[in-house]
Amino acid sequence: MPFTILTICGSLRKGSFNAMTQRALPGLAPAGLALKPAPSFADFPLYNADIQTASGFPAQVNVLVDAIRAADGVIICSPEYNFTIPGGLKNAIDWVSRVPNQPFAGKPVALQSASPGPVGGARVQYDLRKAFAFLDAFVLNKPEIFIGSCASKFDEKTGELTDETTRGFIKQQLAAFEIYIARVDAKK
Amino acid sequence: MSDRQLDVLVICGSLRKGSYNAALARTLPGLAPAGIKLRSAPTFADIPIYNFDDQQTSGFPAAATAWADAVRSADGVIVVSPEYNWSIPGGLKNAIDWVSRMKDQPFKDKPVALQSAAGGILGGARMQYHLRQILLSIDALLFGKPEVIVTFAPQKFDDKTLALKDQTAIDLITQQLAGFEKFIRRLHPNA
Repeated sequence: MPFTILTICGSLRKGSFNAMTQRALPGLAPAGLALKPAPSFADFPLYNADIQTASGFPAQVNVLVDAIRAADGVIICSPEYNFTIPGGLKNAIDWVSRVPNQPFAGKPVALQSASPGPVGGARVQYDLRKAFAFLDAFVLNKPEIFIGSCASKFDEKTGELTDETTRGFIKQQLAAFEIYIARVDAKK
Repeated sequence: MSDRQLDVLVICGSLRKGSYNAALARTLPGLAPAGIKLRSAPTFADIPIYNFDDQQTSGFPAAATAWADAVRSADGVIVVSPEYNWSIPGGLKNAIDWVSRMKDQPFKDKPVALQSAAGGILGGARMQYHLRQILLSIDALLFGKPEVIVTFAPQKFDDKTLALKDQTAIDLITQQLAGFEKFIRRLHPNA
């Protein structure tokens, strides 16, 4: 049985380079990983504990929580907004973090980011690592995937990831992630 | 340097009614020097999750524009926020993400001071240092010291009224607001 991997994209726009990266993953994954995209967080209300108290967790939050819980691992592909995590993605994490037995605890997580600049979204990744430390996730160390100058690395028309170096790195990360999940899972 | 009263906007990072940070924000007018008049920012609760496609097709949402206008028109901004998952609340970050895309980006060269309250020993410090990093990316001018970090918040606010009763915190806030007034007047050509 392959490990089921949930992929979460931090951008909501259709032409997102990070969504393109997310779509490239199944073609680069080892046979031991089965990837599927996460349900959208676009319709989550902004976190308010009063909503949680009055009417419980919104249905779309529970859908994402269930998807995370059911997965053997999670891969996040996210742009960097203002030096850090997009507010929408952070809001989703804030909601999910409040659920009893929050699903990131003990969950293997790998990070990827694409951005037009030279840093390739590194800052979003290090900030996600902090949030996931608080949430007791198991975050894969290396290889890290920073897709800098990303506009030149995808086909303009099809959105396909064409850069061979990047494709090679992603393959290595996914292979490492499979091994990592097997290690973490063995100790469950 | 004129001595006109400065208009300072207060943004609360929490949306819940019983928020300690909202309670902290409510104490500010009573502790501010005569040179500062405080007003509350419009809520960011109704700003949709940022999506560049929405911006392209229908422009900036009215709630985001109202929030940006409030920041732009103020002489300075005080953000009072809880820490969620070692960082700033997603809702507050989402509001910043929207306004950061605007022409005449409202935080540019805006004096900003930070405060936080939290239940634990760190009092939301991680949120504050992270918010400093984020506000750098949008060219805000960040006030230094004194910092207002209200630790063990449940002990420091009245159970029933949520009035801030801790004298140390009250003194620090008073000092910060006085310092912030000077900071704004030094940075603002017409303040």
